[in-house]
Formats: sequence, C-alpha cells, structure tokens
Amino acid sequence: MSRPAPSARRDVVLLALLLAGCILLLSVQVRRSGGQTLAESWALDASAVLVRGVTGVREAGGALSGWLSFRSTLVRENARLHERVTALEAELLRLRDAERDRNHLLGLLGLYPTPPPGTRAAHVIVVSTAGPFQSAVLDRGRRDGVLPGGAVVGLKGLLGRVVAAGEASARVQLLSDRTAATGVLLSRTARAAVARGDGGAGATVLYVPAVADAAVGDEVVTSGTDGVYPRGLPVGRIESVGRAGLFLDLPVRLAADPRLEPLVFVFPPLLPGEARSPGEPLPVKP
Amino acid sequence: MSALATALGLVLATLGTLVMGALRLPSVPDLFLLPVGFAARRGAAGRAMVVAVAAGLLEDSLTVPGRLFGLHAFAKVLVAFCLALVGARTLVEKAVPFGALLAAGSAVEGAVVAGLLWVLRGDLFLPEPGRLAVRVVGTGLLAAAVRALLRYPWKEARAARRRRKLA
Repeated sequence: MSRPAPSARRDVVLLALLLAGCILLLSVQVRRSGGQTLAESWALDASAVLVRGVTGVREAGGALSGWLSFRSTLVRENARLHERVTALEAELLRLRDAERDRNHLLGLLGLYPTPPPGTRAAHVIVVSTAGPFQSAVLDRGRRDGVLPGGAVVGLKGLLGRVVAAGEASARVQLLSDRTAATGVLLSRTARAAVARGDGGAGATVLYVPAVADAAVGDEVVTSGTDGVYPRGLPVGRIESVGRAGLFLDLPVRLAADPRLEPLVFVFPPLLPGEARSPGEPLPVKP
Repeated sequence: MSALATALGLVLATLGTLVMGALRLPSVPDLFLLPVGFAARRGAAGRAMVVAVAAGLLEDSLTVPGRLFGLHAFAKVLVAFCLALVGARTLVEKAVPFGALLAAGSAVEGAVVAGLLWVLRGDLFLPEPGRLAVRVVGTGLLAAAVRALLRYPWKEARAARRRRKLA
C-alpha cells in the first residue's frame, strides 16, 4: 500500500482544519433548549469529565485515607486484643491451676480430713528420678513451716519425707530412693515389716518371714514405728510374692507417683514417741 | 482558474443570490457552488476548499437566519474536497459532466446541511423534495451552461466571422 503524497496529506489536514473551524464556529452560536450554546454544552460535558475525574480521585483519596485510618485502628485494636487474649490466657491458666489445686486440696482433705496441726500444702516443682537418688523439690521451705523430717503425702498416698529445707524450698526423699526405709504394715495381716526403695519406681517389703501370709494386691501402709511417718498412710500394694531364703520377696507398687502429684501435704515432723497423726484412723485388721 | 476569476465568481454569486432573493423565488440554484466547482475541477483540493469556505461563509451571511454561521461553509468544504477528489482522477472538461458533478455536489451539500442541522439543533430539517430537485437540477444546468460558455471558442468564432465578412 503506497503512502499518500504530501500534497494529499496536506489537503486532508486542511480539510480537517476547515471542518473543525466551521464546527467550532457553529458551536459557539447554536443554543440548546437550556439557553446555552453548543460550545458551552460541549465545554460543560468536557469539564464534567474532568470534574468527575477530580471527584473520583478525591473520593478515592478519601477512601484510601479512610482505609488507612481503619487499618491503623484495626492494627491497634488487634494489638490490644492480642494483649487482652494473652492476659486472658494467662488468667485462664492461673484459674485452671487454681482449680486443679483446689480439686487436689479437696482430694487431699478428703483423704486426710483432719491433718495434723502445722500441715502445709506445697507444690512439687522438681522430681528427680533419673539419677541414683530419687528426690523431689517443693516450693515451700522453713519460711512456710516446712521442716526436715516432715512426711510428704499426695492424693494417692505417701511420697516421702523432707530431708532438707531451705527458706523457700525443700528437698524430699522419695520412697523409691534406695536409701529410703519405712516401717510398714501389711494391712490385711497386720504384719510389720520394712519397705525400702528399689531405686526405680517402687519399693520392696523386707523381713517378712517365708511362712507369713502375703498375697499379691495386699495393701501396704506405714506402721508409725520408724518415728518418721505417721501410722496408716498408704504406701502401695504388693505386686508379686516370691521367696528369698528365709524371707519373702515382696516388691511393692507405690501408691503415689510424684510426677502425678502437683500438690502435696507436708505434715510436721513427728515428735519423739508420736506415731499417729491426729484424725488418721488406724488401719483395721480384717 | 485564477484568484481574480474566483473572486469575480463569488461576487457574481452574491449578486445573483441577492437578485433571486429579491425576486422571492421559491427555490434557486446554488450559485456559490459554481466557483467551488470550477476551483475543484482540476483536482486542486486545497484551493477548492479555501474557495468553498469563502463561498459558504458568504452564503451563510446572506441566507442563514442566524446563529448558524458556517453551516454552508462546512458543507461546501466537504463537497469541494469530494469534487477535487473526482477532478484529480478524471477529466471534467465537457459541460454536461461538469453540470452533473455539481448537481450531485448540490445534493450532497443539501444532505450534509440537513445532517448538520440535525446534529446541532436536534431537529431533522429535511428539504422539500421538489425544491431540492429544482435546486439540484438548476445548479447542474447553470453549471453546465457556464461551463459551456467558458469553453466556447469565442476568439476563433469571432475571427471566423470576420474572415467571412472580409470574404
């Protein structure tokens, strides 16, 4: 396709200019029904586009500003809600802890309705059963009336005794410790014996003659003869019955697991000759 | 066609329009289209459009009631451009084709004016067919007559007449 000659292009340009001039000339004369000329009408139409554009930009700016403001408000609100949620979660955890402690205390009080005067409640904060010694740490110490020698009991039974007390914490020797020994009774037969920790999760009842009556599942309680523990505290149940020379081999599954006892009672140390906590019934021989 | 002839044509067209207006003729030929047609006959579009603007504005100043100054100028510029296009592609020498071309141009101009009025005023002012036909035919005949007069070899005819007298 050949390009138009310059003169033809010039003619077309001239045509367009002349026609546009005529239209412009006519538009400034012709009046519409509203009294305005066509040029005014066209100018208004053109300016309306501009006005609409400016209005649109202004509205968009307003919307953007509103959105930014709204977003800022939302961010602040979100941060505030985050803080509130965190506080509420902390409060919820605290309340759950308090409820758990309350239920635990109610259970302890159900098990020991009249604990001896000077009994303290304490949380088990550390349980060390991995090493050669089995011990736990309480969050109460001398300042709170927790003294060495006090028996530590949980919801399920005896846990051990306080062997050292600081101002705000105390160390407990668990029953399962190899160096821990407890005077016990086999509840069913009232047979007195000694229970010693096996260094694991249980203990072994010693010095029960081979001819004695012992059966799997027999309950083992403290006898109060060791001068450390009150009488009648649950220690555990016999797991199996075997013979070891002149005596029976009686491993015991301990009643209380320190890892499952977050809240415990710490009884005051027994006075010399005291073997029974006030209010604790003596185990009844069948 | 020289500028002087064009100016003369425009003056004559103005005078003719005034005369025919004074005679109150219901429909008159488009006298202002004649100089435009002569300017566009050889295909000179620029010149034809300039003449068309001048002719259209003159016609508007004489015939249009008001506030439509430029109406016929617009239409005549378009027609001039079309006539120039035709003139650039064909030889329009004889009177009859020239008259037919201007008659067509007159019709086109009428249509353009009607369309422009419709666009500008919102009303469709269609010309009466009879008057339009008279105007178109009259313009064509007048253009053909003027072309024939201008094309006639007056000098040769006079010389021949003189030779006949001498003989």
